[in-house]
Amino acid sequence: MIRFFLLIFFSLTTIFSQEELLNFLDDGPKEPLPVQATFKATRIVNSQSVELPRFKILEFMVQHRFGKVENGFYDLFGLDEAAVHYDLKYGLHERLAFGLGRSSWKKTYDIMVKTKLMRQMEGLGKTSPITVVLFFNMGINTLRKDAIVKDNFANRVNYLQQLIIGRKFNEMVSLQVSPTWIHKNLVPTNQDEHNLFSTSLGGRIKVTKHYTVSADISFPLGSRPENYKNGWGLGFNIETGGHVFQLILTNAQGGYEGAYIEDAYGSLSTGEVYLGFNITRVFSL
Amino acid sequence: MKKIFFFLCCIPLFARDLYITRSGTISFYSHTPIEDIVAVNKQASCVLDLETGSLAFQVPIRGFVFANALMQEHFNENYMESHQFPSATFKGNIEHWLELDLGLDPQDVSVMGTLTLHGVSRKISESVTIARVGDRLNGLARFEVAPADYGIQIPKIVRNNIARIIEVTVNVKLQKK
Repeated sequence: MIRFFLLIFFSLTTIFSQEELLNFLDDGPKEPLPVQATFKATRIVNSQSVELPRFKILEFMVQHRFGKVENGFYDLFGLDEAAVHYDLKYGLHERLAFGLGRSSWKKTYDIMVKTKLMRQMEGLGKTSPITVVLFFNMGINTLRKDAIVKDNFANRVNYLQQLIIGRKFNEMVSLQVSPTWIHKNLVPTNQDEHNLFSTSLGGRIKVTKHYTVSADISFPLGSRPENYKNGWGLGFNIETGGHVFQLILTNAQGGYEGAYIEDAYGSLSTGEVYLGFNITRVFSL
Repeated sequence: MKKIFFFLCCIPLFARDLYITRSGTISFYSHTPIEDIVAVNKQASCVLDLETGSLAFQVPIRGFVFANALMQEHFNENYMESHQFPSATFKGNIEHWLELDLGLDPQDVSVMGTLTLHGVSRKISESVTIARVGDRLNGLARFEVAPADYGIQIPKIVRNNIARIIEVTVNVKLQKK
């Protein structure tokens, strides 16, 4: 009996094979890691995604929307006209970003703060199934005096607060839902609400490593004027290293936060939709 | 009787002359006229069996740190596909191990084995400089890896930004387990 065990013992010791060495290394602890690349860009199409400008990265984004496609070749499907929104954002921390923007729609300047409250984690141990982001935006309309009913600074200001809850389900599919509260200091008529609540849905499907298809849509909570339309957008995203290029079809011409949620008046059936693109360029500082 | 058996079974794990690190450094460098890309990983594990000269490496891909965080994300998501292939491994042997006399002077040895990267395994043979410093064993290696050999596709649009041959530097300081 003893001989038998000794035999086993010696055969065990003689070869601590390479494979065993590798298994030996594998025993190390595996900490959960944050899930990467839920979306390619900081916007899905129009709406904010759960992605922040990365830490120490300056992100420049151009949202360009052409005119309505309804006139066909006369104005080359709206390409003769344009509405633009530019913004410059910086990742102050892995979980905090700050940005400034300017929109040609109502000549609006805006300030944004985006912060990641919770990160989706994968791996063993304590993980989180979702990413939660808080987004705050303040817009200041700078149209000339005569275009404003009663001119003072407060009447030019709008606020948007958004809680963005997203999840990357697998390498292909990511979805998010974002309850939104928009406050307008000045509204056109007495019937219009100062506080507007809505919720947006967004998602993406990864087609190949560098191409994704994305879409978003807003739904109002509470009543809206008759001419209200759900703002929606459909995007085709191409990632090329430092750039993300998004080709877009949407029914909202304004790329600015409030505009694509509350001021989308186009519809596909009448051809009142807009072609456009978002370009994201990043610089590491 | 049972006690003896238990004791004998435990010996292989403790009696081995294993040298190990869990914080080795692996960096890579891609040079093109357009841009240079550098990434550093300080979480490489390495173990060397002093009796046989067998060694193994395990490197978590997510441990590579780039200056540009977005590039790091793309490296993981689209090039190394680290969700699918979370680590790179190497297992091999130092050649002519039994004839080596490990001294203070650094000496070049040849290491042969299998490198597994992005799920593709290839036999490689590289030169490594090793030296015994105090109670440590230091190893330094510099070699080249072609992403194409490991099924890592580089899209046409960034083909001029990423070198076809990547220079890899490995630096480990092993300590007796």
